[in-house]
Amino acid sequence: MSSLKTTMTGYATYRGREGQWAFLLHRLCGLGTGLFLTVHIVDTALVYLAPKLYIEVINLYQTTLFGIGEIFLIFCVFFHGVNGLRIAAFDLFRPQNWSIPVARASTRLTLIISLVLWVPAAVWMARNILIHNFGLFGG
Amino acid sequence: MNQTNSLPVNPPANYETSAWKWMRYSAFLLIPLVWGHIILQDVVVGVHAIGNDPLGYVAQRWASYGWRIYDALLLGFAFAHGVNGLRQVAQDVIHKPVARKILNWGLFFFWLVITLVGAVALIAGVRQMP
Repeated sequence: MSSLKTTMTGYATYRGREGQWAFLLHRLCGLGTGLFLTVHIVDTALVYLAPKLYIEVINLYQTTLFGIGEIFLIFCVFFHGVNGLRIAAFDLFRPQNWSIPVARASTRLTLIISLVLWVPAAVWMARNILIHNFGLFGG
Repeated sequence: MNQTNSLPVNPPANYETSAWKWMRYSAFLLIPLVWGHIILQDVVVGVHAIGNDPLGYVAQRWASYGWRIYDALLLGFAFAHGVNGLRQVAQDVIHKPVARKILNWGLFFFWLVITLVGAVALIAGVRQMP
């Protein structure tokens, strides 16, 4: 377990700025998405294994708490995707881009692209929650 | 500081090298698949719109073989990408060869079981309730 402590301390204290933040956020978003993906495969399988339970699960997903979680999930998927494309493109086609200045600039661009994709989606999803769960906007 | 001297390396053609490449190749495929899926299901349709008859919604969607193939690709590529990612993260803290062997086999069976559960539903479809 000392290995776990060493790794976590390293994650938290390494001063890699943008490159390190991108690494941490990529992992956090990847693990979060993976966790929900596992749950989602099993919940979808309920349509065959236990159809009545599937209806319960969808009702749960419609609650405000899960709606907010869904908005965070969408951010994770967008950021992990944009940053993953950056990693794959650099590793496979432009390894010379793995320099500190390019890493910093490209990380900032990655975050901007992710937010441009996420904000409209988040606003629309929040609106859906307000309509269906709070009766606003003519819900 | 603007240039990195790149050092050419010849990675061995082993499982880890294949897994490293797999994560990157699958990323290019997962962008259209996953983004298409979340934009359609979470934003455009939304979980509230399918709430009146969730089983009917899935049955209608899976009546099209195109969507079933789409979902099969998602299941196959996204989950394998995710489990291998989890394996990479875990290897940051698990170093002993024996522990890594247990990790690898454990995650392989985890991947297999969940994938089979998903595949069963995808092939069998929505069960009609009496």
